[in-house]
Amino acid sequence: MKLWGRILWTLLSGSRGRRGVPQGWALNSWKPLSSLTGLLSAREVVSHWTQVFEQRGIPEAQESSEYIVAHVLGAKTFQSLRPVLWTKPLTPKQLQYIQELCSHRLQRMPVQYILGEWDFQGLSLKMEPPVFIPRPETEELVEWVLEEVAQRPTTVGAQGGPLILEVGCGSGAIALSLLNQLPESQVIAVDKGEAAVRLTHQNAQRLQLQDRIRIVPLDITSEGCWTHLLSWGPIDLVVSNPPYVFHKDMEQLAPEICSYEDLVALDGGEEGMDIITHILTLAPRLFNVSGSIFLEVDPRHPELVSSWLQSRPDLRLSLVAVRKDFCGRPRFLHVRKSAV
Amino acid sequence: MRMSLWQAREDAEGVGRMRGHGGWCAGGEKSTQTSLLISPSCRFLLNVSGWRPVQKQVLLHRLVSAMSTWALLRFPAPLIRMCSGNWGLGLQEKPALLFPGMAATAVQVAGRKDYPALLPLNESELEEQFVKGHGPGGQATNKTSNCVVLKHVPSGIVVKCHQTRSVDQNRKIARKILQEKVDIFYNGENSRVHKEKLEAGRKKQAKKKRAKETLEKKKLLKELWEASQHVTEERTGADGVPGGFRE
Repeated sequence: MKLWGRILWTLLSGSRGRRGVPQGWALNSWKPLSSLTGLLSAREVVSHWTQVFEQRGIPEAQESSEYIVAHVLGAKTFQSLRPVLWTKPLTPKQLQYIQELCSHRLQRMPVQYILGEWDFQGLSLKMEPPVFIPRPETEELVEWVLEEVAQRPTTVGAQGGPLILEVGCGSGAIALSLLNQLPESQVIAVDKGEAAVRLTHQNAQRLQLQDRIRIVPLDITSEGCWTHLLSWGPIDLVVSNPPYVFHKDMEQLAPEICSYEDLVALDGGEEGMDIITHILTLAPRLFNVSGSIFLEVDPRHPELVSSWLQSRPDLRLSLVAVRKDFCGRPRFLHVRKSAV
Repeated sequence: MRMSLWQAREDAEGVGRMRGHGGWCAGGEKSTQTSLLISPSCRFLLNVSGWRPVQKQVLLHRLVSAMSTWALLRFPAPLIRMCSGNWGLGLQEKPALLFPGMAATAVQVAGRKDYPALLPLNESELEEQFVKGHGPGGQATNKTSNCVVLKHVPSGIVVKCHQTRSVDQNRKIARKILQEKVDIFYNGENSRVHKEKLEAGRKKQAKKKRAKETLEKKKLLKELWEASQHVTEERTGADGVPGGFRE
C-alpha cells in the first residue's frame, strides 16, 4: 500500500505544475482511486489508458496506449517488448512519463509527434510538428522506385547511381530511404517549408547520409526555379508525395491532422492537382533524354493526370503505370518522358 | 487438377512477363523458345515438353538463377519487374503482382547454406488484413495501427505481426514467419525448423558430453597427482628428512 500511495502522490504532484494542462482534467482522467490498486504492470496501464481514450473519443485508443507505453519501456511496439516486461511493475517515473505523453494524446496530438519519432522503410526518423508525418502508403512508393532503378540501371556518370529530385521532402522520409538503399545515388530534396528543410537536415545527419543529399528551400511553383535545380546536372528521377488533397476535403480531415500538421503540405487545390501539374511541367526541363516521375496521389488522380497530360503534348510525358496501395486503391503513378 | 493457364510473352531480354493474378513466372534462358511457367501451387513446371512435376529444390534453383545477383539482395525486384512492364492503365485489373512482398520469402531464404530453401509462399493463397476502417487513406488519414494479419488459406494458419512501426516491414516479417509455420505444417518432422532444432539439440548434447569427459579427465589427473604427493610425503618421513611435524 505504501508503494501505491507513493506512486499516486508522484503522479498528482507531477501534473499539478504542468504548463498548458489544466489541473482538473488530470484527476478526472483517472478512475476512482480504488481501481488504481494493482495498475502497475505495462499491460494494465495500457488497458487503463485505452479505456480513458475510448471514453474521451480518441481514435485508435489501444494502439496509442500501446505505442506510448512501449516507447517508455524502450521498445518500438508493444508486441516487440520482451514478454517479461508485460507483467513487470512499472516505476513511478515510468508511470509519470506515460501520463505526460498520454495527456498529449488526449489533446489529439498524433502519436508520431508525441513520441518525437517514427519509422519509415526501416529508418527511424525524428518527427516534429508541423512537419508532415510520413504515411504508411508512401513506403510502397519507395519500393516501386527501388524496383524500377534495379531494372533500369541509369547511365553511370561521374558520381554513379541515379540523381533523384524529391519535391516536398517533409521529414526526409523518401529521400533518406532512397539514399539508404541506393548507395550510389544522390538526392536533391526541396521543400518550401523551413521547418521541413531543418528537419530533413537533422534526419540526414542522424542517419549519416548528409554527404549525398542536398536540401534546398524552394517553392517549385515559383518562376524559373528550375534553373537553380539544373546546377547539379540532369536529373534521372523525380519522386514526390505532393500535397494532393482536394481542397473541399480539407475540412473533413481529423483533428490530429488539422491541429498539428502543416496544411500547406496537404492542400492540393480544387482538384488536388495544383502541385502535381507543376511537377509534371517542371520535370521535362530537368531530364536529359528520358526520365521518370513517381508520384503518390489521390485515387481520383490517375484519370485526371492522364487527361491533363494529353492536353499537354508539348511535355512529351505519358502515364505508363498505376500501382495500388495495400488497401487496393490506385495510389501511385509512373509518368515517363519519351525519348522520341 | 486445377491449373491456371498463364499467358506469357517474353520481352526482348528473354524474361517472361505475365498477366493474370497470383502464380510465378520465371524465364531462365535468353533464347526465345524456352519459356518457363510455373503453376500457382508451385508444383508443376511447363516447358516445351509439357507440364511435369518438379522438385522444390529444382524449382527454387530455376527461380533464383532467373534473378540477378543484385535482386537477391533487393528482394522483390525481378518478379515484379517481369510483371509490371506493359501494364498501362489497367485500373480494372487487380494488380496483385504489384503488391510488394510477393517474392520476399523465396529470395530471402534462398541463400541459406545448410538446408534446402523453404517452399515459397504463393501470394494468391494468402489473405492479408491491415488497418480496418482506414478511411480515405493516404495524406487524408493519420493511422498508426500497422498490425498485419496474414492468413495462409489452404492450411488455415494465421500470423499476426506488429513487430515494427512500419506496415511494410510487418508484412515482410509476417511472410517469413508464415513461411516457416507452413513448412512445419506440411513437412512436420522434415520441416526445416524442426531439423534445425534437432541439429541444435544434437550439438548441445555433444558439447555437454565433451565437457563431461574433460571434467572427468581433470578429476582423474587431480587424483593421480594427489596420490603421488601422498607417496612422496610417506617416503620423506621414512628417510627422516624434516618435513614431518611429529617429532
